[in-house]
Amino acid sequence: MSEEPKVGVFVCHCGMNIAGTINVKEVIEYSMTLPHVVDAKEYIFMCSAPGQDLIKDSVKKSGLNRVVVAACSPSMHEPTFRRAVEEAGLNRYLLEMVNIREQSSWVHSDEKQKATEKTKDLIRMAVAKASLLEPLEDLRFGVQPASLILGGGVAGLRASLDLAERGYKVHLVEELPTLGGRAARLGKLAHVDMKGAEMVGSLIKAVVSNPNVTAHVNSEVTELDGSVGYFKANIKYKPRFVDAKCTLCGECFRVCPVEVPNEYEFGISKRRAIYLPFKEAYPPVAVIDSETCTRCGECVKVCEPHAIDLDEKGHDLEAIAGGVVLATGFSPYEPPEGEYGYGHSKKVLTLFQLERLLDEDGPTGGELKLEGSTPRTLAFIMCVGSLGTTKNAHQYCSRMCCASALKNILTIKDRYPEVEIYTIYKDMRTYGRGDERLYERAAERLVKFIMFEAPPTVNVKSDNLEVRVHDATLQEDLLIPADAVVLAVGMSPSQSLPKVRSVVKVGCSAEGFLREAHLKLRPVEAPADGIYLAGSVTSPKNIVESVMAGSASAAKAAALFGKEEIRIEPMIAQVTEEICSGCAICIAMCPYGAISRKQKDEKRVAEVDKALCKACGACVAACPSGAMQQAGFKDIQMMAQIAALTEKRGA
Amino acid sequence: MSDQFEPKIALFACNWCTYAALDLAGTSRMKYPPNFRVIKVMCSGRIDPQFVVEAFRDGADGVLVAGCHLGDCHYIEGNYKALRRMTLLRKMLDTMGIERERLRLEWISASEAARFVQIAREMVEQIKPLGPLAPRLQVNQ
Repeated sequence: MSEEPKVGVFVCHCGMNIAGTINVKEVIEYSMTLPHVVDAKEYIFMCSAPGQDLIKDSVKKSGLNRVVVAACSPSMHEPTFRRAVEEAGLNRYLLEMVNIREQSSWVHSDEKQKATEKTKDLIRMAVAKASLLEPLEDLRFGVQPASLILGGGVAGLRASLDLAERGYKVHLVEELPTLGGRAARLGKLAHVDMKGAEMVGSLIKAVVSNPNVTAHVNSEVTELDGSVGYFKANIKYKPRFVDAKCTLCGECFRVCPVEVPNEYEFGISKRRAIYLPFKEAYPPVAVIDSETCTRCGECVKVCEPHAIDLDEKGHDLEAIAGGVVLATGFSPYEPPEGEYGYGHSKKVLTLFQLERLLDEDGPTGGELKLEGSTPRTLAFIMCVGSLGTTKNAHQYCSRMCCASALKNILTIKDRYPEVEIYTIYKDMRTYGRGDERLYERAAERLVKFIMFEAPPTVNVKSDNLEVRVHDATLQEDLLIPADAVVLAVGMSPSQSLPKVRSVVKVGCSAEGFLREAHLKLRPVEAPADGIYLAGSVTSPKNIVESVMAGSASAAKAAALFGKEEIRIEPMIAQVTEEICSGCAICIAMCPYGAISRKQKDEKRVAEVDKALCKACGACVAACPSGAMQQAGFKDIQMMAQIAALTEKRGA
Repeated sequence: MSDQFEPKIALFACNWCTYAALDLAGTSRMKYPPNFRVIKVMCSGRIDPQFVVEAFRDGADGVLVAGCHLGDCHYIEGNYKALRRMTLLRKMLDTMGIERERLRLEWISASEAARFVQIAREMVEQIKPLGPLAPRLQVNQ
């Protein structure tokens, strides 16, 4: 840069968030003493319109060519200030932000003077770096108007349908042999006269009949390259062993000698190795579970349409998409053996198993029968696996279990009015619209509600179960003899998440769910551009919330697909060809294969593919000659920032 | 050493994990010692060992290099590169007479604000008894 740097420092009060701890006046006075600083101003909210105008005015009046804003985290307002700087006529990358709210005032509020000193240091370092910033141009890329959606439950289906209806191509990838997800296994839904399978079935029908959707069922995404605007996925089709000629005549189910617990009925009934997951499954084609199939060939013999091929190998398919929606759902909390008697008695079941028992299409045809008889007394234990009730439990509330348990309680009371029901809970949270009415109706039907502080215990006896609980309201120990116990289990992060995360890089929250870009402002976007999060991948959600998140993620993806081109921050690696000796150390460093060598006059030099570079800077750190540099994080810029760690008078 | 000594610690934080953890510590109003000066990089794999040496030379009494957990790197494997570089650098620091405790490499994910706070407290306590680094370097020069 030939022109002399003229830096302006703008310190935000953020109301009292910053000014309440940091002596802003002192910081401003100090900033004015720093090399190249020609103006320093403070304002109560720098991100507001008058705050931004202050910056723009100063750029014009003082002839600033670099701007340092000391305010909140760049994840919050860097785009705002980049825009302001651009509107002031400067290149948007001639801005350096100093995070004095998250990194100073909020965390050192009891050490005001030290926080002020730290703030001065951070600003001095930023000014040193800012003086060496260079104008950069955004990278511009086209957008593939197609989406890749992982997970065929309600959230993924809703997102698929919304995008397909807007005219965008959708690749919907479902790991299991059927679309539908968890909601398809619910019986009667709350507040609507519809079963889970019907509700999901209508969505599936709309999705698969839309010509824009390609449903890849029984498939997994094994590789994902590229970034926002252009992702290339490898979709691996697992062998199904049965093709579309299948008429679902059922002959094969009859002859298959293998019997295993049916996961679609949560283990309360058995299925064969060749099976249809459930009546409404899509595609309506039998599937062979390759892990338990003995390859005896009995099914092949009886299959009239010759739909079975036991030698099927599966295949791979490439899909191109501009954006990716992750909608891989949750896993129900699985109580460890012995927790509340679970696994020690068939009369201790989970809420999901109860849903199956009460469903007319379930294994008992909707009859509430356990070990051949209908229980006369039922105890529901709530908050199982949630609210830290036991050693293995999550700390969070799973949100859907209260309303779901109450819905089932009312179904039981409708069908078996004489059954006595106890609901033992830590906290009753019927927060959804209409859910509180479920609670009132249950109370009207004389369901007994017992609040606990210490979790109840379940003692498995030969003929029944004994539930002991200290009633927190009565302050008395109660003993409830029950014929069955239902555990209202919460939602855990999906067991498939590790696999998903090995393909798509998205971080996790402390609870193990996927983490969004911003909890409140960008709840359906991942931190990386072009990746969207729908449904219970981010936190426990009920059906309504999952469908909303599906639509929201589709709207976000559609906004991307509607763009002719996207601008990407240009913090990528760049080669100074004059210095590069072509040693190729950088090539081995790059995890994306973005660097190659080309002939340049008499020598070979490194070349960076702008579309492939993801801006990590690993090659820069390795370059022995300094020929490889990262825009915005050049060695001289970093070194200047580091050198300013301490004050050097007269330097 | 005097009780008044407050070490200055340069914190190289990757954009995706540790920088986000610092933001979370802030929004959660956690408290940690005000000794850290944050230098953001996109990935811990960007951290040239020279940055660390330069930080020590320019007055840092300690350096904390922090990135995503192994296997969790936003750029697949940048943190492995940081691990290799810092392991080698430590050996060099030995020969320079810079105590090992002054350089720490940690994996701090975006949700581990509490872990950062714990590491920050530990590190300040470990460096305090070592005293300032700068005067010694100046003597050596």
